Amino acid sequence: MSLFRRSVLGAGLAGALLPYPWLTRAAQAQRPSNVLRFGLSAFPPNLQPWVSVGASAGTVKMLIHRSLVTYGSDGELRGELAQSWSRDDAGAWVFKLRQGCQFHNGDPVTADDVKWSIEQIAGEKSTAAMRTQFQDITRVDILDPATIRLVTRTPMVTLPSWFANYNTFILSRKSTAAEPIGAGPFRLVAQERGSSLELSAFDKYYKPGFPKLKGIKFTVYADENLRNAALVSGDMDIIEYVPWPAMSAVEANPRLKLLTQEGPFMDVLFNGTKPPFNDARVRRAVAHAVRREDIVKAVFSGRGKVLEGPPIVEGTPWYDKDLARGWAYDPARAKALLSEAGFPNGFQTTLLATSQYGMHKDTAEIVQQHLAAVGIQCELQLTDWSTRVSRGTRGQYDISIHGVAADNNDPDGLTSLLDTSQPPTHGRSFKVDAPRTVAALAKGRTEFDQAKRVEIYKEMQRAVLEEVPLAGLAWRSQGYGMDKGVAGFVNLPGALTTSSGGMLEETYFG
Amino acid sequence: MSSAWLIRRLLVVLFLAWVVATVVFLALHVVPGDPAELLLSSGGATPDPALVEELRSRLGLDQPLLVQYGAFLVSLFHGDLGTSLIDDYPVVQEIALRLPRTLELVAAGAFLAVMAGVPAGVYAALHRGGRFDRAAASITALLLAVPVFVVGTLLVLLLAQVLRLMPAGGYVPFSQDPLRHLMLLALPAIAIAKGLAAMLFRSTRAAMLDALANDYVRTALAKGLSPLRVIVVHVLRNALNPVITVLGLQMGTLLGGTVLVEYVFNWPGLSTPLLRAVEGRDYPTVVGIVLTISVLFLLINLAVDLLQAALDPRIRA
Repeated sequence: MSLFRRSVLGAGLAGALLPYPWLTRAAQAQRPSNVLRFGLSAFPPNLQPWVSVGASAGTVKMLIHRSLVTYGSDGELRGELAQSWSRDDAGAWVFKLRQGCQFHNGDPVTADDVKWSIEQIAGEKSTAAMRTQFQDITRVDILDPATIRLVTRTPMVTLPSWFANYNTFILSRKSTAAEPIGAGPFRLVAQERGSSLELSAFDKYYKPGFPKLKGIKFTVYADENLRNAALVSGDMDIIEYVPWPAMSAVEANPRLKLLTQEGPFMDVLFNGTKPPFNDARVRRAVAHAVRREDIVKAVFSGRGKVLEGPPIVEGTPWYDKDLARGWAYDPARAKALLSEAGFPNGFQTTLLATSQYGMHKDTAEIVQQHLAAVGIQCELQLTDWSTRVSRGTRGQYDISIHGVAADNNDPDGLTSLLDTSQPPTHGRSFKVDAPRTVAALAKGRTEFDQAKRVEIYKEMQRAVLEEVPLAGLAWRSQGYGMDKGVAGFVNLPGALTTSSGGMLEETYFG
Repeated sequence: MSSAWLIRRLLVVLFLAWVVATVVFLALHVVPGDPAELLLSSGGATPDPALVEELRSRLGLDQPLLVQYGAFLVSLFHGDLGTSLIDDYPVVQEIALRLPRTLELVAAGAFLAVMAGVPAGVYAALHRGGRFDRAAASITALLLAVPVFVVGTLLVLLLAQVLRLMPAGGYVPFSQDPLRHLMLLALPAIAIAKGLAAMLFRSTRAAMLDALANDYVRTALAKGLSPLRVIVVHVLRNALNPVITVLGLQMGTLLGGTVLVEYVFNWPGLSTPLLRAVEGRDYPTVVGIVLTISVLFLLINLAVDLLQAALDPRIRA
């Protein structure tokens, strides 16, 4: 509400001043220095290459480091340090390394470095984000200095995409914990702890003509409105996470453009260890009880889309129009399901959400209203994020609100959100019984025939609709705002939007 | 006011600092939230619990609370505030980097407030009931009532977004670009100054009125001293004591109260890391920063006492 008032006020002031153009500062056109000024939403907690510490850190890490593959502007895998990859007859993955790739210390990138990096990630004392997956790699063979072969415990169709994650980089084996040596298009030249980071182009980067920028200066604006103000005032060339209420103004600004993707989403998580939410019918009742349009409108200023089924991105082969509407808003159905489960008059329960992030709190309030309408009376428990995380992991809640993105656009990227047989974390329902979903995920991972995979994941979606390991609420728009003079940057599709930072290698002032 | 008195006061400061450190340390460990889990959950990620355990033991968080407290006290005794749990950066260095910026902001705000509030208070007292006095009464009420984040946001909206005269916020070291440094300092300093200026205005005005009512003022004027001399030497000097008390107390409050201003204007002072550290349960950073602010607060109070004694011989007794 206050944001709305603020934008009206802003529009009013701007209108009054329009006749006085000399009062307003001229737009700063192309930067002569060829250094891009990027407004980050958070200072990277640290830049340890393999540890997951959030998307802002990922953006910076993707520019300093390189992996075997990455996502291209179409969201498909493309080769980086690896030129090509394929499966051999025994079902192992073989990667051919590109010739002429160099680390920042001048050493060539070899199969030994790849092997060393994989072993570090999978190591016993590792805190790498991909450790669990990488421990499935049972053997790493170096066939020649430019060819490496990875044998997994079971066949693994999604293995190449592991190397596109922004927590999986190939480092020189001369790296130390304090000084990782990468092979990315930029190197870190300066940082002002908590406020800014400066990258400068690596002159021996293996792609001729890249990066196109001479450097990037990241400045952290934690407050989203100030970040947007810095874009509008010309202090920044590009910012991430344009606040939803400001998106229209950025689009309408003749000097700016906005690139959006609907990747991350909001959902309801359940505690499956106690009644009533250990009953799938009650979970389904919740899924049918919420009118999602209200969330899209009130929480995201209309910058999102209802999510009435499993979180599969539209336009991918796995998407199914009917399954995507499997939890359509239907309060009568919700009530019927509650009666069937033995709660004809509803019940009292609690709804946990964090008050630290407006989108979580606002979503929780709307869900609370709609659940009350079908007889589920929720006491809202709003805590800070730390407490929300802690209680989520320990199962100290009945239902909770969460916001998340899949690892990538392949349904296997939903494993960390849907596979409730894995040890509990705050981002997954607590010990909800969903055996068919879990089985389908395991099967899809080992199936190499695309047509069969599509069938398996359709079956998985049907299982999700029945078993409800989470109830989807709304996709939310993720927007980069930038000066019209910034070219070559692409907001990657769907869940990959948070990996878009890698595109800065191709960005230039046009 | 002997040196024994000063030593006693300093010992009290030390004791209170220990109390603060202990309370903050224990309180932080009692509230829910685990630094290792939070770090690995950045951006809503769902970390593998095995990784969280690994990180916990690496950070020493799997030790019993009393063992952790003991280790903390021992290193504190050696002047070591430990390192951040997030990126292993020494807390002392973090404070050394950022405290001067917060102090600069507080000093600039206090300077603006004194420059605006005190003369205005003197003028209003001398022209009691006049047009300025009446207008100032409502303006100060407004300044005190409007929250600092509203003023801050309006300043950014008007001066940065609409007029585009000022940068939207941020920081450039003085050594790198003095002009830009001062431009970036201006808006947050104004935002901080506005409430204090109003308070100083009110206490100056009241103290001046009290002092003006004294017999010695009439005597001084009667024996032919110039009004300016009477006001500056006899009235203002006597009126300053309560004003300095207000200023001293408020300086301490400002030190802890810059959080919102630093956030709204992206001023990289001590508040941002404190906020982030509380959110991320970065225990050593929180304790280090709170301890620093508390000790400064206590020292400012001590300085105010000393200053008052210097101004008013009666207090020295």
